[in-house]
Amino acid sequence: MSTTISAQEATAEGTGARGTEPVFSVDGLWKVFGPKADRVPADPELAALPAAELRSRTGCTAAVRDVSFDVRKGEVFVVMGLSGSGKSTLVRCLTRLIEPTAGTIAIDGEDVRAMDRARLRELRRHRAAMVFQHFGLLPHRSVLDNVAYGLEVQGVPRRERRAKAQEVVAKVGLEGMEQRRPGQLSGGQQQRVGLARALAVDPEVLLFDEPFSALDPMIRRDMQEEVIRLHEEEGRTMVFITHDLNEALRLGDRIALMRDGRIVQLGTPEEIVGSPADDYVREFVRDVPREQVMTVRRAMRAASAQEAGEGPALSPEATVSQAIEAVARSGQTARVVDQGRCLGVVDSDALLEVVAGTDTRSAGPAREEVA
Amino acid sequence: MATFTAPAPRTGLPGFLGFLRRPAVRKLLLLAVAAAVLVPLADSRWASGTWPHALTVDLTEPLGDASTWIIDNRDSHPLFLYFFGHVSNAVVLAVRAVYLVLLAAGWAGVAAAAALVAWRVAGVRLALGTAAAVLTCGLLGMWVPTMQTLALMVVAVLASVALGALLGLAAGLSDRTYRALRPVLDTMQVLPAFAYLLPVVLVFGIGVPAAVLATVVYAAPPMARLTALGLRGADAGVMEAVESLGTTARQRLFTARLPLARKELLLGLNQTIMMALSMAVIASVIGAGGLGDRVYQALASVDVGAALAAGIPIVLLAVVLDRVTGAAGAEGSAAPAGEGFEETDSRWTAWARWNGWPGWVLAAVAALAVAVTGRLAGRLDWPETWIVHIAEPVNRAVDWMTDHLYSGVPYVGGTADWAAHFTTGVLNPVREGLQWLPWWAVLLTVAALAWLIGTWRTALTAVLAMAAIGVLGVWQPSLDTLSQVLAAVAVTLVLGFGTAVAAARSERCERLLRPVLDVFQTMPQFVYLIPVVALFGVGRAPAVAAAVVYALPAVVRITTQGLRNVDPAAMESSRSMGATGWQQLRQVQLPLARPALLLAVNQGVVLVLAVVIIGGLVGGGALGYDVVFGLAQGDLATGLVAGAAIVCLGLMLDRVTQPTRRRTKKGA
Repeated sequence: MSTTISAQEATAEGTGARGTEPVFSVDGLWKVFGPKADRVPADPELAALPAAELRSRTGCTAAVRDVSFDVRKGEVFVVMGLSGSGKSTLVRCLTRLIEPTAGTIAIDGEDVRAMDRARLRELRRHRAAMVFQHFGLLPHRSVLDNVAYGLEVQGVPRRERRAKAQEVVAKVGLEGMEQRRPGQLSGGQQQRVGLARALAVDPEVLLFDEPFSALDPMIRRDMQEEVIRLHEEEGRTMVFITHDLNEALRLGDRIALMRDGRIVQLGTPEEIVGSPADDYVREFVRDVPREQVMTVRRAMRAASAQEAGEGPALSPEATVSQAIEAVARSGQTARVVDQGRCLGVVDSDALLEVVAGTDTRSAGPAREEVA
Repeated sequence: MATFTAPAPRTGLPGFLGFLRRPAVRKLLLLAVAAAVLVPLADSRWASGTWPHALTVDLTEPLGDASTWIIDNRDSHPLFLYFFGHVSNAVVLAVRAVYLVLLAAGWAGVAAAAALVAWRVAGVRLALGTAAAVLTCGLLGMWVPTMQTLALMVVAVLASVALGALLGLAAGLSDRTYRALRPVLDTMQVLPAFAYLLPVVLVFGIGVPAAVLATVVYAAPPMARLTALGLRGADAGVMEAVESLGTTARQRLFTARLPLARKELLLGLNQTIMMALSMAVIASVIGAGGLGDRVYQALASVDVGAALAAGIPIVLLAVVLDRVTGAAGAEGSAAPAGEGFEETDSRWTAWARWNGWPGWVLAAVAALAVAVTGRLAGRLDWPETWIVHIAEPVNRAVDWMTDHLYSGVPYVGGTADWAAHFTTGVLNPVREGLQWLPWWAVLLTVAALAWLIGTWRTALTAVLAMAAIGVLGVWQPSLDTLSQVLAAVAVTLVLGFGTAVAAARSERCERLLRPVLDVFQTMPQFVYLIPVVALFGVGRAPAVAAAVVYALPAVVRITTQGLRNVDPAAMESSRSMGATGWQQLRQVQLPLARPALLLAVNQGVVLVLAVVIIGGLVGGGALGYDVVFGLAQGDLATGLVAGAAIVCLGLMLDRVTQPTRRRTKKGA
């Protein structure tokens, strides 16, 4: 398993990531609930047991099992999985809201598990702020005071923190509601307050725990766009937990797909959809509109000399659906051009294969092309 | 076996086995077997109808010795000199200080201060009501006793709140403390007020310190319970979010956990104040003075008019205190939610401007101004000429009632006749029946009932508590008290369930009933004795009547709520199948409301016991009388034994009626 992941990480290097140095570096992380939880990761035999058997033998539940990944600076790292897959536990382990059982977590190279209480508070106050599914707002405080709460906890003077909170409130589009109570806001507005509260402390990383699951579909879309906009404006590193595949594909630079506490696949949205690691992932992504996720890089073939000279040009990051439009308009094959060099061409047959999911290349060759 | 019985029809042997499989039957069988072995043994050794003398322990002598020792050493022993002495002095000083401040403020100052506090907390209407209530106390000629009671209340409530909040804080933050404290608080909540009087008298002697401390012990548990409940009930999501921002434990407590528990804290304050008032009145028996003492003295000489003059201020105080503190609790949760933002917004800010300290400053200045004006005008004491003497006319009315309604009213008889009939027709047979039953049969019945309703644990506690009564040597008077309790509970449940069914089925009926219940539930137990004495004279029947009236509101309320909270889907589906109203009630509502009904029974029993004991003051006899007698004669040993028996009886009755899954109690 770990070999596939590292191979895929290597793949992702050139495609999705913006920077290279990891903000969070997680290695061999375990979280086991139950009596004498320590022995489970330590004992290879217990560690290998399936969930049901582990519970009957030890009374323990392993929520996170031997998880390793890096979150790079500036990327949106999505952890997705169904409920009970351990994703929420995982994100809480990052700032030790839940104490991990085994493994290492480092933020900017500093060992999180070795931090004392003061240092850990410092981490939570300045470096990683979290947005929660059920908002977690203080009902007895106004919107402004909720947003300023993180700064208040840090001991920032009242005038200063209010000014900063005011600024962030404006940024998330809540102007004019500063004096309301959370109970007077709609769900979407409340989550904007939660987002503003996290932004106000200007953290290095934003952690999102299924932030939009409790919202109506329309509002959810608005909020996703808000997150995309914020990310584009500020380039802040984000770890985003979700159970919604479409949300994961929309937001994620890279996606870690979890099942039963393990990461079953880690890669760009295109890799997850295009080259599912196993049947579980394949089943998961079956209904995804592939043409909107896959890029032409996947669908192209080597160009003949004539084809390389004519037809509409597309960037390698263009989606297949964009290519379909270009091919349909021109009636020709389309060229994939990167910095003036023609990498290959796509024709309607190849594009159709991608849409139908019958393209043979998705199993492996794509990787070689990148390398 | 299982494969054989499961599919077989319920006839013959398999049917019998299926019958056996029901837990209730199994429990009873087990109990019967145990009884078959133990009863002949016990009966052959200690054959007697009443509790066998060989099994009693006479505590009178050691208790008498202890009490004598305490009285002898109260002025010399270091424990008293350096601890209880200081406590006692501090209490006396504090009460005295508050009393003097109240007197110095004068009647106008006190009325203004009370009204302004009510205005700040609860709005203009309650402020007017409060002023009217305070002035009524003066009009009735009860200004000084009211201030005495108020002074005692202020000190006791402050101490109870401090003590309760500390205990609640400890229990709210530490699981271990919570587990240790909860059964104690639960038990304290079911014990009758009278049980608390004697131990404090033993230590402090009769007087204000004893009264205040008894009040504190009685009133602190609700504060502690609700504080712990509120702190533990904080929204886990909010607490996690707060932690994720890097708060310290202290910041979490003060910025999140305590504000989130605001509603429970204020409810705790409300309940503590109500319980303190109730106890401050009862504590007149041990020297509290004030309004309670006036009622107590008047009842002792069956002077209903004087009792009423002192009773009305008690009721007014209770209603005002309850409404004002209740409004304080409701205010936070009444924040408008949802639509109409623009409209509510301006109102919200306008309200907020008044809501802060400027409003309070204004109120304080106004109250001070009134007090100073009163002082300058030389009008501190309530003017004699403004007193309306109601004792006389009331007594005339009571005399008229005695002459015309007590007996000989055509067809319906008279109230005294009813009381006499009830005593001879119900109370006497029940008491004689209980006392005729062999002692082991009583224990067995207790065990069976407790086990059927609750668990073997509750059954064991109940049996042990009942046995302890026998060991204490007060078997006969306890059964006398028990007979009164049983009769009162039976009447309460019949009336209560009937009213509740009506209230649950008809919206209008409930609307009419609600304000009545609200008022009745806030009145201190003591007050109920006044009207029953007027109506029925003295004796056991009036005690039972007072108990019924006192317990009825709680039973009606819990039952109505239970019936109303029945899953509407279940009701709708039964209606869709063409069930009649009666069928719905019998087949859907009552079975689904079973937990609420059991809770109602439990509460009814606990409340009835409290008043039946107090009934000792109006001729109820039995354990309550022993306590009063012990206090009056300085025979603390008798009183203490009776007090202990009351505790056991309360414990037993609560455990017998305790449903397996105890629900958290709401309100008083």
